[in-house]
Amino acid sequence: MGIIKRVKAFFKDDSCNECYSDMDVEKKQLFMFPAMVGHYTHHDDAEYYLNNLIPVSKKADIPTGVYACGATKYTCPKCGHKMVKLYIFLPVRDQEKFEDVLLFNNGEVDDLFK
Amino acid sequence: MEKIRKINVLYLLGYIFGPMVITAICFALSAAFFPKGNMAVILIMGPSFLSVGWWCFAGTYIFKQTRKKITARFAEENFKSDQTFFGRGCTVYVDEKQGKIGLVFFWNPKETYIIPASRVERAWVDDGKSGAGFLAGSSRVSFLFIVDGVKVRVDTFTSNQRWRMDSDYILTGISKADMMVEVINTAKGALSKEKTKEEKEDNKKSKEDKSSTTKKDSKTKGKKASK
Repeated sequence: MGIIKRVKAFFKDDSCNECYSDMDVEKKQLFMFPAMVGHYTHHDDAEYYLNNLIPVSKKADIPTGVYACGATKYTCPKCGHKMVKLYIFLPVRDQEKFEDVLLFNNGEVDDLFK
Repeated sequence: MEKIRKINVLYLLGYIFGPMVITAICFALSAAFFPKGNMAVILIMGPSFLSVGWWCFAGTYIFKQTRKKITARFAEENFKSDQTFFGRGCTVYVDEKQGKIGLVFFWNPKETYIIPASRVERAWVDDGKSGAGFLAGSSRVSFLFIVDGVKVRVDTFTSNQRWRMDSDYILTGISKADMMVEVINTAKGALSKEKTKEEKEDNKKSKEDKSSTTKKDSKTKGKKASK
């Protein structure tokens, strides 16, 4: 992924892309992403995530060599805009290897938090 | 019980020196009988190019054929590979449920091994870390296991540079190695679980047999006493 997107994911993910104000975290959930180490493929389709992500309570529940996905739901306190960020990473011992980040602005993956 | 052999010395020597010997013979023939002309060119250039081709591609091709051979064996031995790791010098197949491990070595392409995971004495990860503090880094990550006293090292990451321990390459290598060690240990565990199950069943059967024989004995004793 591009370096600009990466920087944005790290530092600007909680800013509203409509009114540019800071967004509040509404919900957070950790998921197991069904791909083995070295076999990650990027998917833009929201349906893929709705069908394949498996919710887990903690990182230790994810088997070794399997990717994880941290989903965060943001709400803008000013304009009410909602956004979901999917942060895909590989848990390696006590570290995380960043893989990909996806932002959904139109409520495509809101069902993940049900 | 066949012992694991990582290197077939004859194959290794033949692979390295075989083309050299053939080229030398061709050079000698050329010098003795065809010092000039087309034949001389063929005898000098042909074996030289073929040797380079052999060293570059033959090993990989032969190794691929060996892999095909072991996959053909899988069907015969009901081996279902749950996890496969294609290492540079060794390919490891693990059947977690049946507790079996398949091994193929680059330098021993004649042999294919399917062994019970119980023969693996120990499996661990070597992250190749050296240096302290911010200088800590590695150029090789691998997982190792000991089978019949033979140490098998399978690299999950190698580089001619040294990388920081938190670099993507090293983390991916560690993750792969951790996963393989876990898979090997689960295969070992599966086998020991099966063994304990079998032992329990055997114990139950022997207990049942004993109880039935003691009942019979008591009956016969009772009959004798009544007589």
